[in-house]
Amino acid sequence: MRAARKPPLIAPLIVPLAIAFLAGCATAPPASHKEARAAFEQTNDPLEPTNRVFYKVNDALDTAILRPVAVAYTHVVPAPAREGVHNILGNLATPVTLANDMLQGKSRRAGTTFMRFLINTTLGGLGTVDVARRLGYPAHDADFGETMAIWGIPEGPFLFLPVFGPSDPRDALGQGVDIAGDPLGWFGLGTAVTVLDWSRAGIGGIDARSQVLGELGPIKRTALDPYATFRSLYRQHRRAEIAKIQADHGHTVPAWFPAPAAQ
Amino acid sequence: MTNLRYPSDPAHPAAVTTHLSPSRSPSKAMPMPRRRDLLTHATAFLSLATLGVAGRANATPAAQAAPLAGADAAQFIRATGAEIVQVINGPDPEPVKTKAMQAIVDQRVDVAGIGKFCLGRFWRVASPAERAEYESLFRQVLVLNVTAKVGAYKGVAFAIGRAVPREEGVMVATTVTRPQNAPAEVDWLVREVGGAPRIIDVVAEGTSLRVTQRSDYASFLSRHDDNVAALISALKQQVAQAG
Repeated sequence: MRAARKPPLIAPLIVPLAIAFLAGCATAPPASHKEARAAFEQTNDPLEPTNRVFYKVNDALDTAILRPVAVAYTHVVPAPAREGVHNILGNLATPVTLANDMLQGKSRRAGTTFMRFLINTTLGGLGTVDVARRLGYPAHDADFGETMAIWGIPEGPFLFLPVFGPSDPRDALGQGVDIAGDPLGWFGLGTAVTVLDWSRAGIGGIDARSQVLGELGPIKRTALDPYATFRSLYRQHRRAEIAKIQADHGHTVPAWFPAPAAQ
Repeated sequence: MTNLRYPSDPAHPAAVTTHLSPSRSPSKAMPMPRRRDLLTHATAFLSLATLGVAGRANATPAAQAAPLAGADAAQFIRATGAEIVQVINGPDPEPVKTKAMQAIVDQRVDVAGIGKFCLGRFWRVASPAERAEYESLFRQVLVLNVTAKVGAYKGVAFAIGRAVPREEGVMVATTVTRPQNAPAEVDWLVREVGGAPRIIDVVAEGTSLRVTQRSDYASFLSRHDDNVAALISALKQQVAQAG
């Protein structure tokens, strides 16, 4: 979150790297063992020992704090109210989404995001109700990690960040850029704004966790190696999202205009 | 999601054209987002696990030798999905449903093929006895994962989307919806196995069931001296705990 003003914003990036250097890297299998070596390189997780430590820490934090809070949230707050909160948080995130849509050169997606913000902020009561979805402007995600991927920057090795969870250097940097670039974080100083920022971050975390209460447990239970499973799921999902953006050739050119040369 | 609608797809006349415009989870939560991504995966994975089932031989008598046609694959998934939905939303008590899901898995899913894929390079180093034991355990684990969530999926519905030829078979897109949940995009990879269409993978929100499972096993094995026997005993334990 922008909630994490400047220093905490950078910390998640630097801390694991620093510790990784201290803690040492994964040992590659000998070159003579071709298949094992190939598998090791494909996994591309040279910081695995460190990553696993952070996975354990996050998992413990989740079990001790985040999950219980999310469970309590779903018990105490009725579903319609939770949906409203979820929608408001989504609406607050649209400026960053819009900026990324534009940086990705996806005019139709940017238009959709812009319309969503206009409609939901007004008709939707400051974002409480997702009216835009019903009007044909469904939500989509766009973050700076994806934007850099569209620009051709590779994801790099796997990272598991404290608090933030599975990532890679590109996505971690993207996250920092999204936080720093969020216009909601630019104006206002003072206690009230800081409190609001942190509240948004906190509620965002609870909201996100409450969305998957029934899902994470079974994965952890059925995986022989949950860390490796989440690593695989994260990467597959990110790649699919990026591929989806790349394949989105929706444009805003009128129907009567000669078909563009591309695709 | 507009990508599913863009016009440049004359390559696949076989495509079933129920266009999906799954209004994605209205979310867009916070830069807590890694977390949220995780979640999405999780959801995806689950839908996989539960729905990653199916296969109806009688759906379409596909031509021998000729590659599976997109329309046939779509029809196969349509029939399979209908059957799953019927079981899950039906009035039967849970044990009966579990049995029915088990039957669907056995009839529609290429369990042996998926199991072999998931073991990856270790399949070759496994002894015949280990292979046989692994195959049997893999099937049990898959069935357990599929049936474990039958209750949670009450009210599930699905819509068929495009069928697109892929290297390994035909990928049939569906949108799975259930009450209180954002719609999930679930793609089914169908290939002819032994003359009948069979599901060989399920891809939910971009995450493949068999790829995920394979990396789980591979990582486990690399932390257990590449010892297939260790994997087998871990699977045994999983079955025993669930049983």
